[in-house]
Amino acid sequence: MSFSALPAAWLFTLLIPLVVFYFLKLKRPRHTIPSLVLWRQVLADQRVNAPFQKFKRNLLLLLQILLLTLLILAAMQPFLRREASRAQRLPVLIDISASMAALDAPGGTSRLDAAKKRVRDIIDTLPPDQDLALIAFGQSARRLTGFTNNRRELRLALDALAVEDVTGDLDEALRMAQALTRSAGFDKVLLLSDGNFPARTNFELPFKIDFQRLADAGPNYGITAFNARRAPGGKWDVFVQLAASAEAETASGSVELEQDGTVVGTESVTLPKGATPRLVFQIATDQPVQLRARLTTAGFDSLAADNTAALSLPAARPLAVFCPPKLTAYRHALASLDSITVFPRDDLASPAAFDLVFTDSADDLLLSARTICLIGLVPEELKALVAVKAENTTAIDWRRESPLLQHVQLGDVVFMDQPVSAAAAKDDAFANLGYEILAQGPRGPLIVERTDGDALLIALLFHTDRSTLPYRVGFPIFVSNVVQAALKQSGLAETAAARTGVLPPLTLAPNRAVHITGPGGFARDERTDDRGQLTGIPAPRAGDYTLTDGTAPPRHIGASLLSPAETSLAAVTQIEFADQLTVAAATAVPKADRSLWWVLACVGFVVLLVEWWWFQRRPGVV
Amino acid sequence: MNAPQLTSLLTNRDLDRLARLRLNAARRFTNRARGEHLAAQGGTSTEFCDFRDYSPGDDVRFVDWNIFARIERAYVKQFHQEEEMHVAVLVDASNSMLFEGKFDLARQLAAALGVLGLRAQEKVSAGALGGVAQRLRPCTGRMALPKLFTFLENLAPGGKTPIEQGIELFLRQHRGRGVAVVLSDFLSGGDLRRAFNQLHSAGLEVFAVQILAPSELAPELAGDLRFVDCETLGHLDISSAGDLLGLYHEYRLAHEAQLTGLAQQRAGKFLSVSAAEPIEQVVFGTMRKKGWIV
Repeated sequence: MSFSALPAAWLFTLLIPLVVFYFLKLKRPRHTIPSLVLWRQVLADQRVNAPFQKFKRNLLLLLQILLLTLLILAAMQPFLRREASRAQRLPVLIDISASMAALDAPGGTSRLDAAKKRVRDIIDTLPPDQDLALIAFGQSARRLTGFTNNRRELRLALDALAVEDVTGDLDEALRMAQALTRSAGFDKVLLLSDGNFPARTNFELPFKIDFQRLADAGPNYGITAFNARRAPGGKWDVFVQLAASAEAETASGSVELEQDGTVVGTESVTLPKGATPRLVFQIATDQPVQLRARLTTAGFDSLAADNTAALSLPAARPLAVFCPPKLTAYRHALASLDSITVFPRDDLASPAAFDLVFTDSADDLLLSARTICLIGLVPEELKALVAVKAENTTAIDWRRESPLLQHVQLGDVVFMDQPVSAAAAKDDAFANLGYEILAQGPRGPLIVERTDGDALLIALLFHTDRSTLPYRVGFPIFVSNVVQAALKQSGLAETAAARTGVLPPLTLAPNRAVHITGPGGFARDERTDDRGQLTGIPAPRAGDYTLTDGTAPPRHIGASLLSPAETSLAAVTQIEFADQLTVAAATAVPKADRSLWWVLACVGFVVLLVEWWWFQRRPGVV
Repeated sequence: MNAPQLTSLLTNRDLDRLARLRLNAARRFTNRARGEHLAAQGGTSTEFCDFRDYSPGDDVRFVDWNIFARIERAYVKQFHQEEEMHVAVLVDASNSMLFEGKFDLARQLAAALGVLGLRAQEKVSAGALGGVAQRLRPCTGRMALPKLFTFLENLAPGGKTPIEQGIELFLRQHRGRGVAVVLSDFLSGGDLRRAFNQLHSAGLEVFAVQILAPSELAPELAGDLRFVDCETLGHLDISSAGDLLGLYHEYRLAHEAQLTGLAQQRAGKFLSVSAAEPIEQVVFGTMRKKGWIV
């Protein structure tokens, strides 16, 4: 047993005045006797033979001493130490990913509630010399409180904690905890989670970790994928993929598909154990519509967030491609492709924005487009890293798995432009600027790409007219790959439901204030950049988000969980860290230090009652 | 028809019974004045005591001529010397005697022992100890009985003077040898040895009667108490008094033994009685058995 407030022990000095005042102020019944002669002798004899007789025989005084002692001990805040050692500072990582909302039984408690109960128990028994810091993590981690002993602050932060419909990322939480070590040292972290994250991580633990795994939840069934692909005849094929948790038994249910709030399809489905059935709906529309898939199962479904998914279908139109007439080879290759319109053209005015721009002129960079393919131009931000020399060269290597270079053979192509990396440019200099090297020459990159929001930039650092590429069979394939990338970038060929976490990049009017509202009272104000881009909008809950800029009609976008990992409710039993350290999960509830002050207070109250009873029975002693 | 009570202290029947008894003083500390008390030396009473050889100068009237006729030797008859004995009855009238009939029994005993003295033609005086100076001057003869009774009946109790101091004051005015009957509880913090010595030095055989209340002989106490001395008003805090009763009895008996010793060392007598005992039992029972009166 230890004491949290040991300095309160000075209160024991109160025993001295208690004893003194007791004997000074003891209200004894007066008993008149003929003489004190004999009693004086008796008392003298008693004092000599038993100096502590008064204390031993005087129950009332003993009760008062006992009562005061109990109160002082309670003030010293004793507690039973359940662990051999206790950290002075303890960060508590609480998983708030989607799977933490899973219930253990119909109408039961969620795993987050179970985690909150454990943390609340820790807070309730928090000794004064221990500080807690609460960190919640889903897809990202955020610090709820700094290290504090303020129970009220901790309870308020804990009560405000809610599940986010996102996948869990343990690394984010550990990095946040690691960042805390810079301001306050600690050597142990408490992790409360259902274990629904990868069993292996590259994080190197600078501290010990106490992984408390919460009890398993009930069976879960949900939608793990929701996307659509354009089909011939102005139709969309809509795909809905279902999955169940590992422990779920075979169940039956139905999937409803709504189009702008109207049910356009219903399919009964059986979810065999371990299977991931895929349903296909066909929608005939060339207008932008909002689709919503809803899964309903016959039995208990522990997690509701993954039972619905939303998908936005864009309007059907041909891909608008800008290609200067002087790029004859490109225009020739584009002419063989369907569903595209190549500008400029004489019979049709150019639109305000293009889906794809091919250009070898810096002037065309002012055109608005989601996908830009630069030919023989070095992007402005790369000019410090690479320069193009008029030398013949060949490709050394290229990324064959890249969608842009699929089926494109660069091995026998001769380039008369030689991109040369600057001597000071390091290997990761391109990556730091967001560029990915797709093809590498002997002295520098030949092809790079960069994705910025919903904009895709492809830069050929050589001019194709000064290479043998247009004469190769891979050239029309490369052009087709670029068109496919532009179609995907514009959402014209296929589209997938947006996931929770962060909304996909959106293009709105430039430099406009945008008010975003969403499920669960979500509200946020953002501003578009010069290009009208709006990125990094958090979407913690599944549902519809509405963007309003005050001029155009509100824009709706749905966010869905769509996470096979979260739907599976899989729970790891141990975590392997980069330094070969393995941390096993503990499912038993950790024993918190038990505070004893209230026990002493109760005993003190009983002693008070006994003393009262004893005092009341004292009359009539003679 | 019943005769009227001579005194409220004793019944007429007790007075009749007392008429046949007398104080049994062990030593012959008596007055030179003639009385009914037999002196140790030969006297002139009619009660034969002994013979002795005749010496020239003896009064020939006391020669036993019958013996002289038979054996022709002159013997002188001796007779008991009846001398007057002074019976001083001292009653403790201090506050401590006001408990549970102690003072009443003391007055009754004083009356009984005074009657014994007066009936035996002794000189009887009485005094109160511990309170206001009250004294019955020496008197003798049966005619003094009412005087004795009146004195004792009107004896005013209450006072704080210790018994040893009261004895000392009494002895300043006392003349004559005999018996000093001291009726008290002897619960005094003073030097009782000195008081006994003074009585003995004054030629008084000490008849000490300790009268204790039932609550003093067998107190029933428990818990925490504050004892207040009725005389000095001093107090004493006692915790768990019930546990101290055994020790109290030890000290009470030791005190009794001490008083017994003090009396016997001075050829006196000591008796401890309870205030709850009837006067008849004390006088005709206890005192007769112990040889105080015969």
